[in-house]
Amino acid sequence: MLKRLLLVRGTEILLFALLAAIPLAVQSPYALGLLTLLAIYGILLIGLDVTVGYLGQVNLAQAAFLGIGAYTAGILTTRYGTGIPMAVLAAGMVCTVIGALLALPSLRLEGPQFALATLSFLALTTTVLTEVEWLTAGSQGLSVDRPPLFGLALTPRLFFWLCLLVLAVVWMAMRNLLSGQWGRAFEALRDSPIATDAMGVGTYRHKVAAFAFGSGLGGVAGALYAYNFQYLQPQSYVYELTVVLLLGVVLGGRKSLWGAFVGATLVALLPNLLSNPLLFRSFAAVGFVMALLAGVRGLLRHTTRPFQALAPVVATGVLVLGSFLEKNTEDWRKAIFALMLFSVVVGLPEGLMGFAAGALAKLFRVAPPPLPPAAALDEVLPATVTGGEPLLEVRALHRHFGGVRAVDGVDLTVRAGTIHGLIGPNGSGKSTLVNVVSGLYTPTSGELMLHGAPLPRGSLFKAARAGVARTFQNLQLFTGMTTLENVMVALRGAYHLPLPLVLAGFGRPEERRAQAEALALLELVGLGGEARTPVKDLTYGAQRFLEMARAAARKPALLILDEPAAGLAHPDVVRQVEVIRRIHARGVTIVLIEHHMDVVTSLCDVVTVLDGGRVIAEGPPDQVKRDPRVIAAYLGAADPAPGGTGPAEGAPAAG
Amino acid sequence: MLIVKDLYAGYGLSEVLEGASLTVKTGTVVALIGANGAGKTTTMRAISGLITPTRGEVLLDGKAVQGLGAAQVARLGLAHSPEGRKVFAPLSAEDNLLLGAFPWLPRFFGFRKKAAPDLERVYDLFPRLAERRLQLAGTLSGGEQQMLAIGRALMARPKVMLLDEPSMGLAPVIVQEVFRTIKRLKAEGMTMLLVEQFARAALDVADHAYVMERGRIAVEGTPAELSRDERVLAAYLG
Repeated sequence: MLKRLLLVRGTEILLFALLAAIPLAVQSPYALGLLTLLAIYGILLIGLDVTVGYLGQVNLAQAAFLGIGAYTAGILTTRYGTGIPMAVLAAGMVCTVIGALLALPSLRLEGPQFALATLSFLALTTTVLTEVEWLTAGSQGLSVDRPPLFGLALTPRLFFWLCLLVLAVVWMAMRNLLSGQWGRAFEALRDSPIATDAMGVGTYRHKVAAFAFGSGLGGVAGALYAYNFQYLQPQSYVYELTVVLLLGVVLGGRKSLWGAFVGATLVALLPNLLSNPLLFRSFAAVGFVMALLAGVRGLLRHTTRPFQALAPVVATGVLVLGSFLEKNTEDWRKAIFALMLFSVVVGLPEGLMGFAAGALAKLFRVAPPPLPPAAALDEVLPATVTGGEPLLEVRALHRHFGGVRAVDGVDLTVRAGTIHGLIGPNGSGKSTLVNVVSGLYTPTSGELMLHGAPLPRGSLFKAARAGVARTFQNLQLFTGMTTLENVMVALRGAYHLPLPLVLAGFGRPEERRAQAEALALLELVGLGGEARTPVKDLTYGAQRFLEMARAAARKPALLILDEPAAGLAHPDVVRQVEVIRRIHARGVTIVLIEHHMDVVTSLCDVVTVLDGGRVIAEGPPDQVKRDPRVIAAYLGAADPAPGGTGPAEGAPAAG
Repeated sequence: MLIVKDLYAGYGLSEVLEGASLTVKTGTVVALIGANGAGKTTTMRAISGLITPTRGEVLLDGKAVQGLGAAQVARLGLAHSPEGRKVFAPLSAEDNLLLGAFPWLPRFFGFRKKAAPDLERVYDLFPRLAERRLQLAGTLSGGEQQMLAIGRALMARPKVMLLDEPSMGLAPVIVQEVFRTIKRLKAEGMTMLLVEQFARAALDVADHAYVMERGRIAVEGTPAELSRDERVLAAYLG
């Protein structure tokens, strides 16, 4: 515990102490200027990393928020004499609001479209800052005096300490945010937006909030930037800065506070690097050697392909060559940035910190803090008594895709406390039906009622909030996380603390409680010993069980299982049946789609058979299995050939 | 026809196969069964060149093909019908089939005419595909997609076919049809390696079978021998 505290927190404290101490020894205004810039870029890049790293979207607008923040603070101070603390706060808030407004439409887009939306925002911002001369003084530029702080004139040294303090606060707040449910939500929505919504977490609102938050940090950085340079020009916040900022995040390492810091160092140093030929040559040489080493190492370990190993070597080689041939590197800087960005993206996709973190993790094995004991199952998933009243009612439901009537007038009543089977040939509309009920698809027409109240339509998120949980036919786990974290994301009613308190670091007790609850659910499905295992290392069977635990964490009224035994070998099928029984025993009503007829027969109270989007039979499993229409459409003739098992034993394989 | 010797393969730094060996003789059907995560699919992917084995040999018709890459291995006569079907969703069923014949069809002119007999054969095998030949593959039902994946593999005129979990997620009636097709292909002399969860059904069509455990072959024998093996019986045949 102490070792962990020392290593993890200790290095951070050491970093900040070291940075704070430098001005005591070094008095040169040049060095101080660089350090101040480093702190400001640190804040800016932590903000940018929220979208680029955690949301996985290319965001080209961060330079615009730096500009908006700078002008907000600058105008407030020159016009109204606002002090630094208020102006910094205001800049942060203005950018948060504008960020949210930009995010609302543009985060409906993905990938290149989102990048283009942010790019147009950047162009718009520079134009507005240039053209609205009565407010910003246009291209003439705006001079800002650095006002005193609490009556104290800010010398360069004091101002650096102020910036460092802000960086430290942002760093801590960010760490507190990311180590809790918010951090997991970010991770989850990148891995599987569908499952994130289905677990009631709300992909879209988290994305908007994250973007607004990152933009707000850009505004804070902008305000400090204004007081640092004391002269603002709209042209300062354009494309070149955008490229350099992206380079900073990618080279430093995404999804890492340390990565943002390393990136900020680079961004602050780059212009100076280019003006000194000797420095630039050695920098290019170091890059070349690193590319060479990383390439050879990757090839030897079979972790990289030849192109991935060779391309950065060539790119950095060109840099080295260029640094000796061309004296005036300043003129070539855009080409240089481009070459650097290319080498990093191809050769070091995880960035310097991602690269270093792997090595450090091997050197210092820091055991994660021990998990709390599992909570009592009765507290996590209280056994409820249900009386067989109608829980889910589907009336005259239609869902058409173009001319295809996938669900063509289905009436269905699922009674509370039952396991309700849903079978039918492939393409009969089973999956479409449950996709409509769980909100993935909007019904073309028809009624859906849960507990006698209308069920929200066409929104996984709202349906999940209303009490519907589901698993997915083709597994939708959050593969970047551990088993325990997967369940924690979905836990219903475990997180109440308001955001400011989470940022301030008061989320710890809630987090422990959530761990204990999630552990209880893992034990329920027999994965108690795998809590720390990354999901991608679980066997396929274990992944199926984990989906069950995650869905149970929603404490649902209705649980939809879409082929929970698909692709499972026989022993795992037996285990899965046991897991379903256990969850059902807590009073959870279950709708089960399954092709293993023995599973359906042994579990279900009622079975509904669909064919061509309509109900063709309904009743107890044994009765349904004898129905001639069901045999014709679904079960097939009891062909005795393979293995001699009849359909009664259920091996769906050729009966 | 297909010999795998002491194969090691995996993803990144994690090794899944640890010395798997198996042989598929010409004109036979060989079943590969085992628990989830034992390495069956990885074996198939390493054979067809979708992943590069770190050690070991894959001999196709006597020629070493490991490390050649999937496209080259396919040209040499090995067709892989992958787990989860992986049809080209935005293309029509017929275009999917034509892509299966890509290695030997002319690129620009006359390919439809040249492919006609092979298409005919696939449509004869799966009449349902003929009905849906112009429908987009992504809108086909799971069973039809599985037929399409097998048909696409057949279009390559392969010497060996790998079928990975052809019954996954299919209704019993369709599973029966898929196995009937496999039997018919076997009767026509097709060489096949079959990975399947429904071990009984797989053993029923196979001439020889291997049981995989933790990246190696644990047991092998004829279906009759395996069906008598207590351990196999308990663990895989239920």
